[in-house]
Amino acid sequence: MPEIRVTPLGAGQDVGRSCILVSIAGKNVMLDCGMHMGFNDDRRFPDFSYITQNGRLTDFLDCVIISHFHLDHCGALPYFSEMVGYDGPIYMTHPTQAICPILLEDYRKIAVDKKGEANFFTSQMIKDCMKKVVAVHLHQTVQVDDELEIKAYYAGHVLGAAMFQIKVGSESVVYTGDYNMTPDRHLGAAWIDKCRPNLLITESTYATTIRDSKRCRERDFLKKVHETVERGGKVLIPVFALGRAQELCILLETFWERMNLKVPIYFSTGLTEKANHYYKLFITWTNQKIRKTFVQRNMFEFKHIKAFDRAFADNPGPMVVFATPGMLHAGQSLQIFRKWAGNEKNMVIMPGYCVQGTVGHKILSGQRKLEMEGRQVLEVKMQVEYMSFSAHADAKGIMQLVGQAEPESVLLVHGEAKKMGFLRQKIEQELRVSCYMPANGETVTLPTSPSIPVGISLGLLKREMAQGLLPEAKKPRLLHGTLIMKDSNFRLVSSEQALKELGLAEHQLRFTCRVHLQDTRKEQEMALRVYSHLKSTLKDHCVQHLPDGSVTVESILIQAAAHSEDPGAKVLLVSWTYQDEELGSFLTALLKKGLPQTP
Amino acid sequence: MRTEAQESWLAWSQRLGGGYQDFHAFDLSAPTRVLEWIGDKGVFIAGYESLKKNEILHLMLPPRLSVKENQGLFPERDFKVSHGGFSDRAILELKHVPDTRLLVTSGLPGCYLRLWHITEDSDVIKAVSTISVQEKAGDLWPRLAVFSMVPRVLHGVQLSSLQVVDLESWKTTYSSGVTDSEELSNLQVLDGDTFAFCCTSGRLGLVDTRQPWAPLENPSPSPGSGGQRWCAEVKDRGQGPGPCFSSLCTDGQLCLLDARDLFHPVSSVQCPVTTPSPDPELLRVTWAPGLDNCLAVSGFDGTVQVYDVTSWEGMGSQVKPLFTHRGHIFLDESKGDTAPLVTTHTWHPCKPRTLLSSASDASLHVWDWVDPRPSC
Repeated sequence: MPEIRVTPLGAGQDVGRSCILVSIAGKNVMLDCGMHMGFNDDRRFPDFSYITQNGRLTDFLDCVIISHFHLDHCGALPYFSEMVGYDGPIYMTHPTQAICPILLEDYRKIAVDKKGEANFFTSQMIKDCMKKVVAVHLHQTVQVDDELEIKAYYAGHVLGAAMFQIKVGSESVVYTGDYNMTPDRHLGAAWIDKCRPNLLITESTYATTIRDSKRCRERDFLKKVHETVERGGKVLIPVFALGRAQELCILLETFWERMNLKVPIYFSTGLTEKANHYYKLFITWTNQKIRKTFVQRNMFEFKHIKAFDRAFADNPGPMVVFATPGMLHAGQSLQIFRKWAGNEKNMVIMPGYCVQGTVGHKILSGQRKLEMEGRQVLEVKMQVEYMSFSAHADAKGIMQLVGQAEPESVLLVHGEAKKMGFLRQKIEQELRVSCYMPANGETVTLPTSPSIPVGISLGLLKREMAQGLLPEAKKPRLLHGTLIMKDSNFRLVSSEQALKELGLAEHQLRFTCRVHLQDTRKEQEMALRVYSHLKSTLKDHCVQHLPDGSVTVESILIQAAAHSEDPGAKVLLVSWTYQDEELGSFLTALLKKGLPQTP
Repeated sequence: MRTEAQESWLAWSQRLGGGYQDFHAFDLSAPTRVLEWIGDKGVFIAGYESLKKNEILHLMLPPRLSVKENQGLFPERDFKVSHGGFSDRAILELKHVPDTRLLVTSGLPGCYLRLWHITEDSDVIKAVSTISVQEKAGDLWPRLAVFSMVPRVLHGVQLSSLQVVDLESWKTTYSSGVTDSEELSNLQVLDGDTFAFCCTSGRLGLVDTRQPWAPLENPSPSPGSGGQRWCAEVKDRGQGPGPCFSSLCTDGQLCLLDARDLFHPVSSVQCPVTTPSPDPELLRVTWAPGLDNCLAVSGFDGTVQVYDVTSWEGMGSQVKPLFTHRGHIFLDESKGDTAPLVTTHTWHPCKPRTLLSSASDASLHVWDWVDPRPSC
């Protein structure tokens, strides 16, 4: 079927839980397998029963592609592969492969240990799931099978995030995942070539936003940190090992230098090791600036930023500390938080989304009294701030990307239908492409017109050329021939050659029609009259009177015979081959009108 | 490794304490010449390019700005596009009809008014009707102001074409009826029956629509060297004592006048601005709705200047702004092209020191300045 079918299982007008099913030229691909962060029950997973009611997922799906390590794009992967059951390949970039399991394990710990959930995937399941992963490089064409190929493009957004092109023959789909069109301090901007896919699937969560400039966010961040340390307070910044931490460190270092500040900045050692390790592995994934810095010095050899020792947390006076984990759910950041929470001079700046159930989530919701282990209640007097630096594409960014790839159609996921009417119009008018916005579970079918290459035999080609009229580049030319399909090969040959190749004999079809005329004359005279009539009427055709009395018009034979029952009537037998159908019918009709009276 | 631009940004942002309470910068996809409030949480902007389709956008202010306490817990620092529409012509004036879902715009080419409807069940702004108001007037377009009680629009290119039109019936309910072809630069509705006008020549007037044309007005100031152009704004009734008219000239002159005696300005000062202004039509002067005797001036360059007029007196004195917003210059990413010009600015209706300003490089800033004077 020349069509592409897309069904969002999660995403598609629902933020959280990205999971999209694409059928292209008979191949089935699942894009992302995310977890909805807002639900605690089965609603957090995409509805996989859409894929196939019976039959195994492994048989139905040709592959699974994961765009990046955020849980709303990969959080349901172990559940999907180990608990629902999928053994096929899972494609993702190298950094995603390295970081995914860490986040999944972190999340698993929170769900099971903190919230006591049952029926959740286990650590072993995460490991087993990751064994099915095939890592890909940017711009590397990967053959999934001999028809399906995929290619990853740089997406910005987070380390290792990629946009994927899925191609079967001449049909292709590009899935953007989450991406960002403006570079920041440690990641470049998304980029794709003019690949002209049939369909571009892009997220539109932020399509209706106009983002505050990064410099203003940074300014705000610096202002908060500065004000806190100026009044003698301590600033805690819980971070994930990678990504924003580096960016914020660079920012603070620059600011400290400029303002000649002496207040100590620390980052926890666990953070250093992990971060350094990953950055060394994936240095090509960061942007130019970071790479330059890395070459000149070690990522964490800052003048003003030192390694943290847990004893420092009790030191008097102002300081800034970066500590993991990012959601304050365990470990060093939580330890430090507990020590500093009671003092209103202190501040904690949460740099990203926190999962429900974590301390980070609770304090961002405004909770000021927290129950810790052993029924201890912690009163939170320190200031709580949220500073999101995460980068998504806004309307301007989406238009830019669509302009780069030049797809035939665009499909928007992650947005609210009512709020997308304007963007849809904008895309359709400005970029002249159709725009689709399916809801969860709704299938969009896109007709495509794939070009099928057919080889033409030299003999046939020569024959056509001999008919004169040079072919014109833009005008379609009608050819007659026989199409032979063998294996995946298409050939156009002349009928004779086809018959020969296939060992078939040519059939001849001959039609005979009886025309009854009232005429008392003898057959021979009749034939003569027919001959004269046709000769004078059909001036363009070759009309002959044969010695045996029959008349021929081109290759059509007309014979006169007596009518078996009616002596006053005659029967004209008109006979022609299939090729002369038109003339044959014409003659018959003509003769039925009767012969002219002889003068 | 740091670029020059980053250095100057850092230098500028060092003034964290003594400059801005808050500052947000946004990049629109196209520059706007209009900033029109809808309530106190939304603004309309519109494109003014002549050769392509322009967008009208209804933007919701970042929720962060509406919150007084605990700003830190509100991550939402972005504008949201709430509704959008398309216009095949440049939009140079846009007014929202209060308490309705209607907008009126005018622009180029042509001399027309266009009525728009903000649909309820989708996010599209639809053009409802377009009426031509007079023969093409070259490069001029009708100025607009709206009455609220009964939806009517005041429009005019020149004094002679000043009219009030009812938006439901499109009937003209008032005409100036004069033949004077002086070009208008501002129109402002003051209440259900009164409006003010300002001509490019500097001629100001207050008109009562219940009477045939008989405005309270001043004579045109003596024509100075060619190319001078004036604009003006009248204080809202409830905005405290003092002169209510402020008029601004492209040569940097700022006059304060009292409605009771438009012939004799209360004071006139010289603002420290770059003259001649590169685009006289961008000039704008506005009174602060939440502060006594403060006004803002823009259109000469990439800055917006805030002045306190309380102690102004006499004629011709040099004054200094209380605060100058230089964000559009410092954050300009165009790298070497002509410096951006502020195309328009507006005060937040409720937050006394918050302003919005937009520039020709498609930037949109929301900023809250700190009064540098010691509080008594």
